[in-house]
Amino acid sequence: MNKQLSPLWTHLTSENRVTGTWRSALPNYQNQPSPCLGACPVNGRIAEWIKQVKDGDLRDAWVTLTDNNPFPAIAGRICHHPCETACNRRDLDETVGICSLERFAGDTALAEGWSFPPPVTERPQSIAIIGGGPAGLSAAYQLRRRGFKVSLYEAKDALGGLMRYGIPSYRLERSVLDGEIDRIVAMGIDLHLGAEVMNQAALATLQETHDAVLLATGASLPKRLPALDYARSWVIDSAEFLAAPVEEQRSRTGAQVVVIGGGSAAMDVARSARRLGSEVTVLALEPQDRLPAQKTEVDEAIEEGIVFVCGAMMQSAETNDNGATLRCVRVDFDPGDVPGTFTVSPIEGSGFEINAATIIPAIGQDADLERWSGLAPAGPVLGTDSVWQTDTPGVFAVGDVASMNRFVTQAVGMGKEAALAIADMLSPGIAAPAPAAAAEVEYSRINVAYQDTHARIQQQVTGLDERLTGFEEVQLPLSVEEAAAEARRCFSCGTCIYCDNCFFYCPDMAISRTASGYEVNVDYCKGCGLCVAECPTGSIHMQEDTAS
Amino acid sequence: MEKISYSDEGQFCSGHVACAGCVEALSMRVILNAVGPDTVGVVAPSCSAVILGGHPMSAAKIPVLHGTLESAAASASGIKRALLAQGRDDTTVLCLAGDGGTYDIGLQALSSAAERNEDILYICFDNEGYMNTGGQKSSSTPLNAATGSTPLGKVTRKKNLIEILAAHRIPYIATTSPSHLSDMAAKIEKAKAIRGTKVIIVLIPCLPGWGVADNAAVKTARLGVESGVFPLFEIEDGVRYTMTVDQKNQPIDAYLAEQKRYRHLSDDARNKLQAEVDETWARLTAMVDNCPL
Repeated sequence: MNKQLSPLWTHLTSENRVTGTWRSALPNYQNQPSPCLGACPVNGRIAEWIKQVKDGDLRDAWVTLTDNNPFPAIAGRICHHPCETACNRRDLDETVGICSLERFAGDTALAEGWSFPPPVTERPQSIAIIGGGPAGLSAAYQLRRRGFKVSLYEAKDALGGLMRYGIPSYRLERSVLDGEIDRIVAMGIDLHLGAEVMNQAALATLQETHDAVLLATGASLPKRLPALDYARSWVIDSAEFLAAPVEEQRSRTGAQVVVIGGGSAAMDVARSARRLGSEVTVLALEPQDRLPAQKTEVDEAIEEGIVFVCGAMMQSAETNDNGATLRCVRVDFDPGDVPGTFTVSPIEGSGFEINAATIIPAIGQDADLERWSGLAPAGPVLGTDSVWQTDTPGVFAVGDVASMNRFVTQAVGMGKEAALAIADMLSPGIAAPAPAAAAEVEYSRINVAYQDTHARIQQQVTGLDERLTGFEEVQLPLSVEEAAAEARRCFSCGTCIYCDNCFFYCPDMAISRTASGYEVNVDYCKGCGLCVAECPTGSIHMQEDTAS
Repeated sequence: MEKISYSDEGQFCSGHVACAGCVEALSMRVILNAVGPDTVGVVAPSCSAVILGGHPMSAAKIPVLHGTLESAAASASGIKRALLAQGRDDTTVLCLAGDGGTYDIGLQALSSAAERNEDILYICFDNEGYMNTGGQKSSSTPLNAATGSTPLGKVTRKKNLIEILAAHRIPYIATTSPSHLSDMAAKIEKAKAIRGTKVIIVLIPCLPGWGVADNAAVKTARLGVESGVFPLFEIEDGVRYTMTVDQKNQPIDAYLAEQKRYRHLSDDARNKLQAEVDETWARLTAMVDNCPL
């Protein structure tokens, strides 16, 4: 170094002086997980794809999304969105509408007809998947895109499982469901629709012809209320009701419907019955603010005129002239420490009656474990290890048959995890290792001086009159402008957005732009930390540097 | 968020000896790059002189004359006239001084240059005290701020240099802050294109002098702007006032909390300071609203 200046009295630039020796800490560019990523059931890289939406790179956003979840348009409609609950932006104004953005990207992909590329390498091993619901399809997608042969067995005539036979079209448009499933099938899946219902013997056969078998048979057995006689004509099982075509639903539903249960399935039943013209009452054990269903579902049900009787239970039901009389009582509800371990105690003297033409209990489903007599159960589900392998090597189980986590996207996440474990077992090293767990970016690390405050852009909803006369979707998509504006609300926690703040705020010109981001010049960085303080996303950290 | 918009052409060099995290160096980076290579600098004894110099090295890629504390504006005037005599009419003369060299010791020379409307661009790095010599108070030190020579807090208010300059009816006066780098670059470029005396005052939260954390001077400056303690505005021809950041969206407390020099403040003293800020802001907005076309 002897950088020459013009031939003046002072003839050297200060670059000949190494000020990096002053430093005790050095900035380190380290993309850190956002809270939404940690909360996401499929570990979706949310901050990354929202940034792509923000930049208008919708195709890239869709590619990022589908790395972890082949169903962005579906998840964008029905996901229980723990990501939004975790969003750091709640401390500034309102959380980001992640679901509405995911739906926007997913819908764009369907409208544009984007498809998954064929696998780069075809591999000889094959995997049998039993069950074509969200868990099975997610696993099929992840295995197929890595080049494995996949045979998918589904007892029904169409794929989708609960997404098709449990979620009504006003929450999930059928063309969306078909579009996202067809895209997976088009990757080259050996499909067996209307297959025989599998059992332990069939599993043994599949084990011989395949390198691994994945069970994703769901929870097909309705839980039963002991106080209700299911043989009565005025009782309909909720799963059967939701799976039936609208005409059949209409012919079996009376003028007054009582739905028993407070979860998503109960809301789906109640709102479907309401659309068929019935007066609907929901009877739930939980108080209204503790209902297991998503808040939006409950709010929309109330808008649609459904009556909620919460914190009460049915003790008996007797036939009357028009159907049945339910004898009910108010209860104290104790949620218990662990989900599902609630207790209820009837309140003396609080009895009341409700009349119903039809009673539809929707209190949950159990997995059918008798079919898998050779596999060890763990409580109400099949027992599995940390990568969803059962006690039989090479046999994996995911989704409702293996877990009490019953949301669709949780099933998608389990399918992915099992698929990666299977891929790694059959061809070690091809599944990228899961990133090491790191602390999530906290709100205090976001420099909100660079954020405009404005409220979340809500999706519009269909008018009430239309909702009560048909099964059209209730939630309407964001417009292109709305999606762009909502995406701009994302803090991109922990993800570099290449804003150049670190470059411009360095008083020592010690940060330079490179093709992949930024580089710190250790000769000059004095370790002040201005770059870290002025980083809007919290993606730079100071770390101790004793080398200098 | 909007990206910072100015182009760093390498006019200010690494290896200078400003404190780690110094926003005077940060501001100098913006100013030297915005003003460009066809510039001659004049610097009064100050932190700027230390940052730019250290014989035989220079942190600036323009020639810089190190003058005396009382004569920066006079030296700049002389250089400009010499350049005019050589026919170099377009070369900018950039004068850099601190608040000691501007509000106090250099005020006579600056006032004279302004009165003659010398064609110079004068930058005052206002860190509200003699921070280069150990942190004594200057006439720019605000009310109640503790300095080495006012350990219990200064008993008088900050001199309103801007109104003094406005009274000279010079073509351009502006304030800017290292929290608003695009604004700083834009004001330099605007001033450079104007003939006559231009003065830009830059708020410089001084890390050791104010007791600000190494990574917090930009934040402190931003809070100064947002609380109305240091409003960003321009005055053209001494009469036309324009706000560049036109909202005062918070009380002074967050700004004060970043600085040790206000740590001793009683509620009463804090309220007096807030009242002064509110009054100054009201006066300024009235000037903006009533400014002649």
